[in-house]
Amino acid sequence: MSTSAPAPAPARSPRSARSQLHRIAPLLLLALGVGALLMARDMGLGEFTAPGPGLWPAIVAGLLTATSAALLFLDPAEDYEPWTAGTARIVAGLAGLALFIVLFQTIGFVIPAFLLLFAWLRFFGGESWRMALVLAVAGAIALHLVFVVALGVPFPAGPVDQLLGA
Amino acid sequence: MGLFDGIAQGFAVALDPINLLYVFAGVLIGTVIGVLPGLGPTATIALLLPLTYTIEPATAVILLAGIYYGSMYGGTITSVLLRLPGEAASVVTTFDGYQMAKQGRAGPALGIAAVGSFVGGILSVLGLMLLAPPLADLAVSFGPPEYVALTALGILLVTYLGSGTPLKSLSMAALGLLLATMGQDPITGTTRFTFGSVALFDGLDFVAVAMGLFGVGEILHSLERTEKVQAVTKKITHIWPTRKDFKDSSGAIARGSVLGFVIGVLPGGGGVISSLASYALEKRRAKDPSRFGRGAIEGVAGPETANNASSTSAFIPLLTLGIPANVVLALIFGALLVQGVTPGPQLITEEPEIFWGVIASMVVGNVMLLALNIPLVGVFVQLLRVRAGILAAFALLVTMAGVFSVSNDSFDMWVVLVFGVIGWLMKKTGFEPGPLVLAFVLGEIMERAFRQSMLLSGGSLDIFVTRPLSGGLLAVMAAVVVLSLVMARRRRAAFRQVDPEDEFGREDGTGPVEGEPGLSAEPATGRNARHTSDSTDSDAASTPGER
Repeated sequence: MSTSAPAPAPARSPRSARSQLHRIAPLLLLALGVGALLMARDMGLGEFTAPGPGLWPAIVAGLLTATSAALLFLDPAEDYEPWTAGTARIVAGLAGLALFIVLFQTIGFVIPAFLLLFAWLRFFGGESWRMALVLAVAGAIALHLVFVVALGVPFPAGPVDQLLGA
Repeated sequence: MGLFDGIAQGFAVALDPINLLYVFAGVLIGTVIGVLPGLGPTATIALLLPLTYTIEPATAVILLAGIYYGSMYGGTITSVLLRLPGEAASVVTTFDGYQMAKQGRAGPALGIAAVGSFVGGILSVLGLMLLAPPLADLAVSFGPPEYVALTALGILLVTYLGSGTPLKSLSMAALGLLLATMGQDPITGTTRFTFGSVALFDGLDFVAVAMGLFGVGEILHSLERTEKVQAVTKKITHIWPTRKDFKDSSGAIARGSVLGFVIGVLPGGGGVISSLASYALEKRRAKDPSRFGRGAIEGVAGPETANNASSTSAFIPLLTLGIPANVVLALIFGALLVQGVTPGPQLITEEPEIFWGVIASMVVGNVMLLALNIPLVGVFVQLLRVRAGILAAFALLVTMAGVFSVSNDSFDMWVVLVFGVIGWLMKKTGFEPGPLVLAFVLGEIMERAFRQSMLLSGGSLDIFVTRPLSGGLLAVMAAVVVLSLVMARRRRAAFRQVDPEDEFGREDGTGPVEGEPGLSAEPATGRNARHTSDSTDSDAASTPGER
């Protein structure tokens, strides 16, 4: 399980792309399991009589390693969905979400919320410009009222908070 | 406390005005999201987890439980009208429900499903009331070794009985257990897998993980599909079934209640397995099995009853043993843990208002659902007009704002994002997020119990086998593995047998509403479904005029 999105495989050769993929997921898990095993060993396994902090992580990492190693050989290839052109949309969506979090940390909730809603509605939802604009403004303000005014969640301060009664 | 005192106390809790409001909110939200495209009960409960921290534990569970069984009602509507299951357990309803709709009998199909669900739900609550207290009494004597055995059993059952490949699910469970070890060691306080990050000292936040995997992961996955849902404009009439309909389906409802209850108690057994089992049973019992798949009302009544009965009885292992039977209950379990309440055998004596309050609220909730569903089906159908894109945009924003509000920390937003990516990749590669989350929730309990057992036994692993209860549980575990292997084969056979159409829809019930069903079929089921896809009844798939 990687934490970063892999590049979308070319749609032209689904067969070879799929056979590649077939191995990548178990391999990543295997690497994770082995890495965790090594780190757990460094933490100190202790004994069964006096378990160290690394003992339990080592046991579960061992299970992960064993199952993912078995999956390298036993994994049915039909489980995998093909990569499509839509995968690029996902990467764009992820970048948008990451940008939202960064903006949220610096200029508060309302403006990034508006931008996220607007971009998502217009480009992923396929709404008209006007519909996206109206929904995004209304949504950002409504959620600000719910979270900040009604529930008292301390979002980072931003330039428009005073206007909305933070 | 006697049974009747408990029930009385439960109703006192459930009929409290605030709790009544939350039951109502829960079943309404459940029905709505059962109908809405792109949001299933798991994603919704994950999204609403932050909200539950501000309310009483009993109220929180009442709300979440309402969403769960409410979605069982709501999911039926899209199954019958569009042949797109709104949630997993309604997949089976598409077989005969959609055929009934094609014959102009959508009303009775929805009506009998609502009545059946009601009967199944109420009977299951009665079973829960009778069975749970003695089970909790037995479980009170459990020590650490029993808890290790129990949690291992729970995880194992979910991986075996779940929808994915057992081996893949098991590796996801291992990953979940590993992720649960991040942060400080519960006994020595050493930091583990924190990579020097202070934000990880307390480990990963359960809410952020669940919201990422189920909420954001789902939304990302739905982005790849661009097909739009077709709005339903046809008017639905004659919802209340005729006397003949009742006569035809009363047996199916009765059998579905019992079957659903029994299957729901088994970890991993809720939802789709119970409805599938009921369908197979009804078909086998029928004098003329060829009617099935062509609009047999028993084929709607039985499975719908069974899935609601199982969603209720699935609370038994959670409330008595502290073992969540499926992913939705793992989320509810997590919600209680964060509230400082550990579900387990002590729950019934230490927190009777939660135990009995939740049970009583199910009675109230099922009555509400029946009252809501019969007259308001037409209104719920209008929800199908909501466009998936709008829903996704708002769900994302609420997720982000919600996860921040849990501990007012923007680090959790990144956790959600990362697990969103992981969740999406898991969907793409056929790994189940369910076992991961379940194992993540149980991980800390399991580790603590394991280490306590080791201290008790002086380092001997024999303790798990020699103590009668844990040994017995491990024997059960071994039996279940064998049994489930047999069952899995039979289940595959059942799929082949009952599947009259070329599609199954997703097991988690969130995808197919906007996607092309054949493409989005869950791997395990889809693979089996494909066996019959070319040979049967392909004209049903191409009748857009009926929508």
